[in-house]
Amino acid sequence: MIHFSDVSKIYENQAALRNITFSIEKGEMAFITGPSGAGKSTILKIIYLSEKPDEGSVTIAEWELSKLKESSIPFLRRNIGVVFQDFRLLDNRNVFDNIAMALRIRGMTEYEVKERVMEVLKTVNLRHKADGFPKTLSGGEQQRVVIARAIVGEPTVLLADEPTGNLDADTAAGITRMFKEINAKGTTVLVATHNKELFRNTGRRVIKIDNGTIVGEEMG
Amino acid sequence: MYILYSLRLAIQSVWHEKWINLLSVLTIAAGLFMITLTFFSVYNMDLATKKLPEKFSMMLYLNNDLSEHEVGNIMSTLKKNNAVERARYISKDKALEELRGVLKNADYVLEGINENPLPASIEVKLRQESVSISKVKKLAADIRKIKGIEEVEYGEQFLNSIHSIKAGAQTLGLFMISIMSTGVIFVCYSTVKIMFYRRKEEIETFKLLGATRGFIRAPFVIEGGILGIGGGVVSLIGTMALYYTLFYKLALTMPIFKIIVFPSEVFIALPFVGLALGVSGAVIALGRIRFS
Repeated sequence: MIHFSDVSKIYENQAALRNITFSIEKGEMAFITGPSGAGKSTILKIIYLSEKPDEGSVTIAEWELSKLKESSIPFLRRNIGVVFQDFRLLDNRNVFDNIAMALRIRGMTEYEVKERVMEVLKTVNLRHKADGFPKTLSGGEQQRVVIARAIVGEPTVLLADEPTGNLDADTAAGITRMFKEINAKGTTVLVATHNKELFRNTGRRVIKIDNGTIVGEEMG
Repeated sequence: MYILYSLRLAIQSVWHEKWINLLSVLTIAAGLFMITLTFFSVYNMDLATKKLPEKFSMMLYLNNDLSEHEVGNIMSTLKKNNAVERARYISKDKALEELRGVLKNADYVLEGINENPLPASIEVKLRQESVSISKVKKLAADIRKIKGIEEVEYGEQFLNSIHSIKAGAQTLGLFMISIMSTGVIFVCYSTVKIMFYRRKEEIETFKLLGATRGFIRAPFVIEGGILGIGGGVVSLIGTMALYYTLFYKLALTMPIFKIIVFPSEVFIALPFVGLALGVSGAVIALGRIRFS
């Protein structure tokens, strides 16, 4: 599903990734872990095409990213749900509209949008907060809105960048459970985190990265 | 389907940033109003110069010894010419009679002249479309070749002046309209650019969620169009108000204003001109949207 082959990324003479090679199978749930600045976010950014690799090749499903035309990028991104580290929620829109945005860009009718947003709000247990604005929500609730927005378009891949960054242990466990449920429905899930608690005893593959290189792999 | 959503976003944005948008609409309206006045002036000037050639004529002075038959031949040659609308023969006697009519009480200047010194002539009126410098010059040259015509006279300087005024007014008008149109486009460009930067974060999120260029651009293009239409409507109202207060009311006391023509059907197009300029400004402001 996701294949990195000898990928390097350099920012201002400093290598963020060095000859990274790994694969994530279709329907798999895996973790990328490592200290801050190890290159975890860069890997995710390359997958959702926010960054381009300087060397190597990346393939997502049947798309070879270096050969992808710029005009095709939006259509690839619609297949990838992203839980951003900084949430990227729009403060001037309520929860419903923040999630609906992901469907409206696909040109869905308002009826379809309403149906699907309410359904996904039920999944993340936030139906009662549909009219609330992001700033009135707790960190955990905001995180669930971001997850709802990421999965509402039924993507084939779900990426999560430090999804439990500022959350307490119970909320973090709830978020992990949610990812497992999403994965159980067939979505490939890749989570970048420095929080070992998140993948401990999950029985999922954990790719360890440090200073831009893969330093090991283990089962969580 | 997203056009409806884009329309909603555009209307929300126009309302949300109402003061800056109102200022833009008024600036666009001022620009369009000046374009209208320029067009209006050029149009009326053009109309006035078109009317002047109706008075334009050529005088052909004939040799003294022409027979009636020869004059008839010249007249029929002239009438066959497509540029000639009508030709009138003025005999020597008729010319003297007309001169006396012109001199009226001053006809004593002709006392003591025993022989009629005036030549017989033909007055030629040209078709309006033929009253251009090049055509008149060519026609004069052709006429000079006709046997029996001694001299051809026409207001060459007068004709040159009319055409210079007309060409000058048109060039100046075109220049002014171009400058003003660029100004209106620039106002729309700046407004949309400001809106775009204010919503940069939102646009970045749209891009990451998979929005196409069309989806991102549409609300801004619609917003540019709304500003343009708004400016067009305000300038139309201003133009109408100016026309009715200034020309309609003034014409009652100052009849000279009656000759001014107001092409109202042309000015109805103002909102559409505004729309086109507004959309152009927005499209230029958005430029090329990059995804990575």
